[in-house]
Amino acid sequence: MSRFLAGFAVGALMCAGSALAADLPGKFEGVTVDAKLIGGQQYEALYARIAEWEKATGAKVNVLSKKNHFELDKEIKSDIATGNITWCVGSNHSSFAPQYPDIYTDLAALLPKEEIDAFVPANIASSTLDGKLVMLPRAQFDVSALYYQKSLYQDDAKKAAFKEKYGYDLAPPDTWQQVTDQATFFSNPPDFYGTQYAGKEEAINGRFYEMLVAEGGEYLDADGKPTFNSEAGVRALDWFVNLYKAKAVPAGTTNYLWDDLGQGFASGTIAVNLDWPGWASFFNDPKSSKVAGNVGVKVQPAGSSGKRTGWSGHHGFSVTESCANKEAAASLVWFLTNEDSQKLESAAGPLPTRSAVWDFNIQQAESDPYRKEVLTAFQEAAKHAFAVPQTPSWIEISNAVYPELQAAILGDKTSKEALDAAAEKATQILEDAGAL
Amino acid sequence: MKGWRPPAPFLLLLPAVLVLAAVVIIPLILSLYSSFTPFRLTQPASLYTFVGFRNYARILTDLEFWTAFGRTVLLLTVALNVEMLLGLGLAMLVEKATRGQRLLRTIMMFPMMFSPILVGFQFKFMFNDNIGLVNNALQSLGLTNQAIPWLIDGSLAFFAILVAEVWSSTSVFAILILAGLLAMPKEPIEAARVDGCTPWQTFRYVTWPFIMPFAYIAMTIRSLDVARAYDIVKIMTDGGPAKRTELLWTLVSRTAYADARMGLANAMAYVAILLSIVFTVYFFRKLSAARTQIAAEW
Amino acid sequence: MNDNAKARFNGFLLSAAHKIGLFLAMAVICLPGLWIVLASFRPTVEIMAKPPVWIPRDLSFDAYIAMFSGVGQGGIPVIEYFRNSVIISVTSTAIALALGMAGGYAFARFRFKAKSSIFLGLMLTRTVPGIALSLPLFFVYSKLGIIDTHFGLIVAYVALNVPFTIWLIDGFFRQVPKDLAEAAQIDGCTRWQAFWQVEFPLAGPGIASAGIFAFLTSWNEFALASQLTRSVNSKTLPVGLLDYTAEFTIDWRGMCALAVIMIIPALVLTFIVQKHLVSGLTSGAVKG
Repeated sequence: MSRFLAGFAVGALMCAGSALAADLPGKFEGVTVDAKLIGGQQYEALYARIAEWEKATGAKVNVLSKKNHFELDKEIKSDIATGNITWCVGSNHSSFAPQYPDIYTDLAALLPKEEIDAFVPANIASSTLDGKLVMLPRAQFDVSALYYQKSLYQDDAKKAAFKEKYGYDLAPPDTWQQVTDQATFFSNPPDFYGTQYAGKEEAINGRFYEMLVAEGGEYLDADGKPTFNSEAGVRALDWFVNLYKAKAVPAGTTNYLWDDLGQGFASGTIAVNLDWPGWASFFNDPKSSKVAGNVGVKVQPAGSSGKRTGWSGHHGFSVTESCANKEAAASLVWFLTNEDSQKLESAAGPLPTRSAVWDFNIQQAESDPYRKEVLTAFQEAAKHAFAVPQTPSWIEISNAVYPELQAAILGDKTSKEALDAAAEKATQILEDAGAL
Repeated sequence: MKGWRPPAPFLLLLPAVLVLAAVVIIPLILSLYSSFTPFRLTQPASLYTFVGFRNYARILTDLEFWTAFGRTVLLLTVALNVEMLLGLGLAMLVEKATRGQRLLRTIMMFPMMFSPILVGFQFKFMFNDNIGLVNNALQSLGLTNQAIPWLIDGSLAFFAILVAEVWSSTSVFAILILAGLLAMPKEPIEAARVDGCTPWQTFRYVTWPFIMPFAYIAMTIRSLDVARAYDIVKIMTDGGPAKRTELLWTLVSRTAYADARMGLANAMAYVAILLSIVFTVYFFRKLSAARTQIAAEW
Repeated sequence: MNDNAKARFNGFLLSAAHKIGLFLAMAVICLPGLWIVLASFRPTVEIMAKPPVWIPRDLSFDAYIAMFSGVGQGGIPVIEYFRNSVIISVTSTAIALALGMAGGYAFARFRFKAKSSIFLGLMLTRTVPGIALSLPLFFVYSKLGIIDTHFGLIVAYVALNVPFTIWLIDGFFRQVPKDLAEAAQIDGCTRWQAFWQVEFPLAGPGIASAGIFAFLTSWNEFALASQLTRSVNSKTLPVGLLDYTAEFTIDWRGMCALAVIMIIPALVLTFIVQKHLVSGLTSGAVKG
């Protein structure tokens, strides 16, 4: 009987929930929502909309902190460690979210289904941990596509020479094998390099991970055991090693992070460059880039398994489990990721996570051929996107694996040796964490 | 002489001791405790599991840790000596200048005004093998037609970090030694000159003993001031590639926050503290000796 | 006669060598810094160019205009950061100097038990790496509720600077001969008056350089600030630098512009305080 009553109560609550959903954002007179948001120029334009939400709902938002993403991660971990999850809304990221699975609540229970369905399904999937929708994706979705210098592919002399040497036509590459051929062909160190890649920290591990998937391998198997030291893994790592050996990438590439890569391509000394959407306007702006007007963008190439690379991630907002007024917090999260918010944010360049906003943006770009090319390429890229393995130890594994990857690239170890050593460390980490 | 009461030094020191206790000692005890636990940031409950010396045992047998340890000692030793020599030279050049003293001294301290984060980025971009200032300059001058991989090759990267570190911290030595030179009484130098000493002899036997305490103060300060170098190294190489430039500080902070293994990181930090203590006590001894010598001479 | 000319020639050579050496040293010191300053006025395409652009062709204030143009147009809350930085650095420097003078005086002028161990103990508090402190400190601060406040950061910076100011000021007090103050006391001054009128002015250079150090340390400190500050309530300029970094992109020109904003007050202050380094010296000469 009591169970029946409880069930009834839950039903009533859900009804109330969906009644509220019909007129989001709702009314929360006198409620104060404490929030921790990712800071920085690129991210803060959106927060101007918070005032609108406050006006519509009568609630107040109290921004506790605004920080760079990595600093925010540190802060949230410190809060967990000291039992200080006293706030309601936090910025989140799909690559970091698995590290703190317990502190965030299931948004699917707080928001109407049709609102969640309006997001790109793949983004919702990578925001869901153990069946719990821990965040709503904002218009800060990242997957890499291939940027290239158009003029290189229009040069008849180069075309002829390339055909002669490799036996197929020189065109923007569609497989990673072609990237290797072309990068080797274009390179003329120290003045010009075929391509480049991020060489340290989570960045190289992420690049290796997506190459592994494109080669048909698996990072962790179904039981969560590291299996990246497979044959596919060796093939994937060899791609990086061989380019380095052939001097088709700058010698410093193993120390590059995203900033170095972006500056490198903009300096006009790199032929093709797998990179993030955030750089699109930077590359085509004559004030920041020498290759402005000469930039082509294409969906990322495929590996030998036929699958394309597509390591991706996105920012989002989460509501804490300990939040006193989850409905108000969820309403704020919804508001910051709704169509108007996503249109505002993606107008500056970042990629949206709602299907309707994708369509809207492409329509808007009709008169701007470069922007249209970018959006079309990234929309295609997004179709092949996949998130990192959902283990809380992902970042820790990355930190253990990347020095081994670097050792292989620099020639200190063979690919197989490096991967075996890395897999051993990763296994130990997972065992220590109690996952194996 | 009879005017002061016994508790005077106690009263004078009390405020400093209180602040240090609140900000350093209490947190230090907490972190000492956590170094005996498998504390993970993301699992707060792990703070209450006691594992004895397991973290320390792990570190003591960890080759990577000791490599980083050795490299840190090497970097500190080389950097401190280079900085002291350059700082001494700089202070003497500036002290000798007859005009524009204030401007010169201000310029001398210029590098100290840059946030270490910025220094890290600046030198990373300067030493970039492809578009960096250093390689561009070398190539333009025709000194090389190679792209020198400054931040990749182990010893070149060590050198690049050293340059950044020396650039940003030589000022500390220069300003302290200069302050010492300024505070120095002129009579002994005059006396030495009258006695027919060569400039080198005057420097070696009169000036140097006098400014030595200041040099040791600077040395100690610098050997303690690990945070500054950490920010620079973190941004320039973050210990990479393939751990070729891994230092204690980059290792500890990665373990602490990115890996969230605070317990283990604190154990490492305590070994690092031991290292600092050894350096400090060493310089402190030197300082006391130098002081006694001065006291004996004057 | 010949000897005289030779000596003059040698003197000339020496002074020329000195000037050249000085110029070279200053150039090496300034260049990386000036490159940052210059970068704030140049479009990124020139900064990261290959082949390099040595002579700037296109200088503008764009980065500065963007910085002040508010959230959404590339702006950051630079005024708030600046305010926080000034309040925190100035207050903590003043307190650290006051505590440093008290402590330094105690060490230089009094004999007491375990003096050198206490001294060494104070210095050793500086050996603790920030990383070992940051989490426990955060823990203590959050229990006290002083996270993200000026007060919290000021206390932390005082602790950071106090061992150093004590040490440096101690060193300078030691060089002020004891008999001077004693003579003043015989002349009828209290110990307190003797300190302010005789010893304090003579230790001027030491106090001035300790002050510059403490100020610059607080002004540029990042590790603790990034842990103990959170919002515009207390975020300082070095933490604000990271506003120019996003996950995958960095606005180097903007960072350089903010760096220039950070450097100007430090430069002005250093320039002013230099005077006291000199005045301490001249009053020292008076006693001769």
